[in-house]
Amino acid sequence: MTTDTTAVHVSQLVKRYGDMVALDYFDLDVKQGEIFGLLGPNGSGKTTAINCILALLTYDSGTIRVFGQPMTPTSYDLKRRIGIVPQNVAVFNELTVTENIDYFCSLYVPKKAEREPLVEEAIEFAGLQDFRKFRPGKLSGGLLRRLNIACGIAHKPDLIFFDEPTVAVDPQSRNAILEGIQKLNKAGATVIYTSHYMEEVEQICDRILIMDHGRHLALGTADELKAMIDTGERIAIETLDLTDETLAAVRALAFVIEASYDGRELEVRCRRGEHNLVDLIGVLRTSGANIGHLTSRPPSLNDVFLELTGKALRD
Amino acid sequence: MWSTFIVTMKANLRDKSSLFWLIVFPIALATMFNGVFGNLDQAMSITPVSVAVVEDTNWTNAVGVDTLITAMSGKNGDSGKAQDDSRDVMDIDPGVTLLDVTKVDSVSQARELLSQDKTDGYLKADDDGRIALTLSDNTVTVANNGTQEAGLDVSLSALDNVLDQYNRTSVTVKSVLKDNPTAPATRTFWNGINASMNATKEVTLTNFKPSVMARYYYALMGMACLVAMSYMIHTVTTAQANLSALGIRRTVAPLGRAKQLIAGFLAGWLCSCVCLLVALAYIRYGCGIEVGGREPAAVLAVVVASFMTCAFGTMIGAIPKLTTGVKQGMSTAIACSLSLFSGLYGGFAMELSDLISRKAPLLAAINPAQQVTDLFYSLMYYDTYQPFIRTCAILLAMSAVFLAAGVIMLRRQRYEHL
Repeated sequence: MTTDTTAVHVSQLVKRYGDMVALDYFDLDVKQGEIFGLLGPNGSGKTTAINCILALLTYDSGTIRVFGQPMTPTSYDLKRRIGIVPQNVAVFNELTVTENIDYFCSLYVPKKAEREPLVEEAIEFAGLQDFRKFRPGKLSGGLLRRLNIACGIAHKPDLIFFDEPTVAVDPQSRNAILEGIQKLNKAGATVIYTSHYMEEVEQICDRILIMDHGRHLALGTADELKAMIDTGERIAIETLDLTDETLAAVRALAFVIEASYDGRELEVRCRRGEHNLVDLIGVLRTSGANIGHLTSRPPSLNDVFLELTGKALRD
Repeated sequence: MWSTFIVTMKANLRDKSSLFWLIVFPIALATMFNGVFGNLDQAMSITPVSVAVVEDTNWTNAVGVDTLITAMSGKNGDSGKAQDDSRDVMDIDPGVTLLDVTKVDSVSQARELLSQDKTDGYLKADDDGRIALTLSDNTVTVANNGTQEAGLDVSLSALDNVLDQYNRTSVTVKSVLKDNPTAPATRTFWNGINASMNATKEVTLTNFKPSVMARYYYALMGMACLVAMSYMIHTVTTAQANLSALGIRRTVAPLGRAKQLIAGFLAGWLCSCVCLLVALAYIRYGCGIEVGGREPAAVLAVVVASFMTCAFGTMIGAIPKLTTGVKQGMSTAIACSLSLFSGLYGGFAMELSDLISRKAPLLAAINPAQQVTDLFYSLMYYDTYQPFIRTCAILLAMSAVFLAAGVIMLRRQRYEHL
């Protein structure tokens, strides 16, 4: 589905809020037809980047092109091809589900006859058939999020921005939303997706860009990103009689980055290596420790994220 | 643009809070005014006093007394001439009924009626032809307690005054005739008699009969009008990317912001008009408050006033860095405080409003609540439409200033912050 044609091109984008640099020579290239994940901690500049691309925010320098054209507040032809699902639910509380979707669709498709099937399709897409006459105040959090999505995609845009669309929704709704996004992508839409949930980004995104402090840190597929970091597998071993000496011996192993023991389970974060597990078990056997249940987990996107952005708490 | 207009209309008309403040609140307050002030006009009006007339020999001998009583009863006399005489001599408004007469033959019959509470008092002529009014104890008590029977004290006072004038004139005429029997042949004599009859005469200087209460209702319209600002505050904040998530979604859409705001403005204006017209209709037909018989102009007043309030709301709504809640609070505070200076809150506020109009007319001119009040006031009291047109012009000038300030704040297409 992905093509070589660029949907969004951002080059050397700088955005300052007073003395604070929100985007620091930020680069981004999103290919048409892909689901592109934008990852970063709170305050890393994800939403600022999206708002600059959408011509909502001014910026200090840099270039932004959407479908090869410069994006401005009056680029109505471009805007017709774009859909947005904002982080906060943005609907009229006084209108019903159908009226909300119809209104936002009408901003793109003025003719009622052309709009009606699109609205119907969006209602079905979001699974809101049983809630057509409901006002947002009567909907659950998950249904509200689905309405928010339906309002953003009803006009069948070529490029859709999803800004953390699964915040505060239950696993079922989240799953439905992710499947919906993949369906939209299969239908030809390019998706730019921001989230804090690593597993869902890993699940749906073709490529992922990790950013922090307004800078581009790493870009690639999930596997490519995992290959970029030093962290290898995580090994967890159930053992009840681990001594301090044995723990020290484990920590002394060259491939061990971090090892901790809580009286029941030994957890070891390893560097990349071929024989990490064998060497670790060897140390435990030598010390006479009994080994119970054992798991070895390959590095996750979360490991990549934490290694690249650090563990310090953000706003 | 059409769909934005329709959606804004729907959103406005389904906004229960706005509907409460724009329709329920003025109707409730007008009803309250009606309850509190309803007796005020009645208390100042003349109501017929029920009296028995003792038609004994003295009464029959008294000259002109029947003509007087007939005139005060608001009926035609036995002949048209008697009615004409009563007008000429007593200058009594034939539309005013001061007496409700029951004729009896004797004082004892009159007292019987009094004791049965069928009459308030009785009239009897003495040997000299002077008329005396005797009231029952109950009537005196009721008249002294204004809350029981509105207008009785005023009617009794007027009746007493008329009878006193009759008695004095009668004595004077008899005295003059006794000394100079040829005096009635001269014009000077009759001119003198007429001169002594002239007391207070009600004349109308205004377009319409003034109403003590009307200004309170007009001030209420002024307040309700300012409360309608909330429509435009909501409309503007939901169209601006820097003010709401809804604004972000709408700004990203390929419909120019100016078109969205104009559609929202027109919808807000129409909704304000409709709500205020409902309030006006209730005040006019439910509470019976006149607008000088100029109802079409009153509708125009609502149209102009609601345009001004939408412009005001646009300006408040466009203020950056304030939440919608703060702006709505501001609009309520502005409406309440400016209504104080337009006289909504009772006699003290009305005096304050008059004082400002006299001593600092510029302050009154820049108070939108005062100007909306004046719109209806000018319809009621002035003969010409000139004051009404001038007030309309002031409100339109205000609207232009508010809109200009709003547009300056809204003209940005991109923002530093969101």
